[in-house]
Amino acid sequence: MAATTSTPETVYKKKRFRWLDIKEHLVGYLFILPAIVVISLFGLFPIGYAFYMSMHRWRVKQGDFIGFQNYTKALGDDYMGLLLFVGGFALLMVAYVIWTSGFKSLSKRKIVAGVVSLLVLAAGFYAISIGWGRVSEAGDHRFLDALPITFYYSLGTVPAEIAIALGLAYLLFQKIRGQEFFRMLYFLPYITPVVATAVVFRTIFSPRETSLANQAVGLIGMGPFKWLFEAKPFTEVFFGLENLEGFWAGPSMALVSIVFFGIWTYIGYNTVIFLAGLGSIPGDLYEAAEIDGAGGWQKFRHVTLPLLSPVTFYLALIAFIGTFKAFNHIFVMRVPSALGTVNTTSIAIFDTFYKMNQFGYAAAQAFILFVIILALTFAQNKIFGERVFYG
Amino acid sequence: MANATDVSAKKQSGGTSFHFSFGRIFLYAVLIIGGVLAIIPFFWMISTSLMTLGETINKQWLPAAPQWGNYVEAWNEAQFSKYFMNSVIITFTTLAGLLFTSTLAGYAFGRIKFFGRNAIFAVLLATMMIPESVTLIPNFLMVRGDIIPLPGLPDWQGSWLNQLPSLTVPFMASVFSIFLLKQFFAQIPDELWDAARIDGAGHLRFLVQVVLPISKAPIMTVLIFGFISSWNAFLWPLLVTTKPDWRPLMVGLWTFVTEAGPETQLLMAGAVITIIPILILYFLTQRQFTEGIATTGLKG
Repeated sequence: MAATTSTPETVYKKKRFRWLDIKEHLVGYLFILPAIVVISLFGLFPIGYAFYMSMHRWRVKQGDFIGFQNYTKALGDDYMGLLLFVGGFALLMVAYVIWTSGFKSLSKRKIVAGVVSLLVLAAGFYAISIGWGRVSEAGDHRFLDALPITFYYSLGTVPAEIAIALGLAYLLFQKIRGQEFFRMLYFLPYITPVVATAVVFRTIFSPRETSLANQAVGLIGMGPFKWLFEAKPFTEVFFGLENLEGFWAGPSMALVSIVFFGIWTYIGYNTVIFLAGLGSIPGDLYEAAEIDGAGGWQKFRHVTLPLLSPVTFYLALIAFIGTFKAFNHIFVMRVPSALGTVNTTSIAIFDTFYKMNQFGYAAAQAFILFVIILALTFAQNKIFGERVFYG
Repeated sequence: MANATDVSAKKQSGGTSFHFSFGRIFLYAVLIIGGVLAIIPFFWMISTSLMTLGETINKQWLPAAPQWGNYVEAWNEAQFSKYFMNSVIITFTTLAGLLFTSTLAGYAFGRIKFFGRNAIFAVLLATMMIPESVTLIPNFLMVRGDIIPLPGLPDWQGSWLNQLPSLTVPFMASVFSIFLLKQFFAQIPDELWDAARIDGAGHLRFLVQVVLPISKAPIMTVLIFGFISSWNAFLWPLLVTTKPDWRPLMVGLWTFVTEAGPETQLLMAGAVITIIPILILYFLTQRQFTEGIATTGLKG
């Protein structure tokens, strides 16, 4: 803004009072100084220092320099396994690229591209499962187990909260009486302090027969369940499937309860953002679709969804990364009898740091988490970012 | 974006006549079910907070006679009064510092041209990507006085643990707030600045006398978000308050969970006490609140 208004007069002034220029710079630095001091000390410096710590044996007090040993302790020294695991994800990306590029071309090539990408996809999954098996064999269980748990948590919360919020926002955006009232209601769980609501959910999902959750499942003739206190996988508790093992058994009942909490909390936030996005879709597009004979569903499918895709992408990205950072509510809803089946990455890192006092090792784990978040952001940008329609 | 929502919402809700149809009833039914699901936990919390211990164990939805004494008990015996005051002091100290640093920095980044401005700002923005897990451990060592000597009273023994500064100083600047104010300040017409300069005003006087009075909306947004994040903070206060001296409400509620045992009604009363200030703030500033979030897309 300011750059466009350099009239000849100001240029003249600048030449004449050179010292005023310097003063301007100094005033600028002086103004940002307080903020810069705080952010440098508590935002910038810790990044470098955390890396420094991760290179040391550091239990409460600083110990010897040990290089990357904290990292190999977490991930194991089976480099082949690691390579397979990471390479598997790279193959998934390649499969995706082949798939999309195939669909841009002729119909004959489509079949070829489809087959090839399916093969690459299968190879990717195979590499991931083999690699994961080897890595979890060699690495630190307590840390690595947190990754599939976080993955379950993401898979349980993100799609559900986005789909429900989109539905609610779309309904709210119709000619609705009391739109603001409903928006206020939906938003309430999000703005309420999470520690307080998590404490409430601890009693709602308590194993007591009279707890709200047990009364609810009692209505459809199920339960009572132990909810947050149940370490068994939900497939076993709900459906009696006892022969599923390891990853395929799914999240524990305790984690499922926390997933309910996550969905309940974030629907309101997503609804508000979706409403803002809906408001920015020009009304004439709907009119044009109506003239072309589109019904309610077709308008939603061919106008609303594509035009909302940037918002959806943004929300999915934020929510997905959020699950890796999620801490407060899981910490509050965690009980010992869940046997660590709800320990997502942030919780596991906190335990390493606070419970076990392994500061250096916790710093290394935090950096691994940071790299994972960066990679996820990149992958999601690559995959969904391209499919997003930026009006 | 927010304005667009309002305009089109008004356009949609006005004009057309209201008519019942199967689709309409379905639509309202879904919205009402959603609303009920959203508030049932609140209902449960308030209802349980007024029950007797016996009633909390039974399959009961409402107390026979509301036990207001539960609140008195939580307030007095469980030290919620102390935690509440701590939270109030922590929040307002943090907000004062936050407002000071972010208006100055927002103004500088938005209106003053100094060498390296954009580069410095880019570095600040990049710090927003760093997960809290990374910075948590060094910051803990920092406020414990392990890394650099900290100013403080003699009996603090060089550490900020269990002292007010550890709960306030690290949050007295936020990149998000600076960003928000910078965007707004940069849009202020240059004519105002030229006029002020002719009157002999410097940057500071211009900021205080002209810019701040016309920037109530973004400053409100900064204050609201600052209030929420300070009031709701949990992980960091949990780390740095091992004694009740400066323990804020959220950590107090958590220690109550671990200590209260089966007395659910007191726990729920405590939970109600912790959320009341946020609810009041929300109902007072509802429009600004939701629209602030809709336009900035902030996720806490």
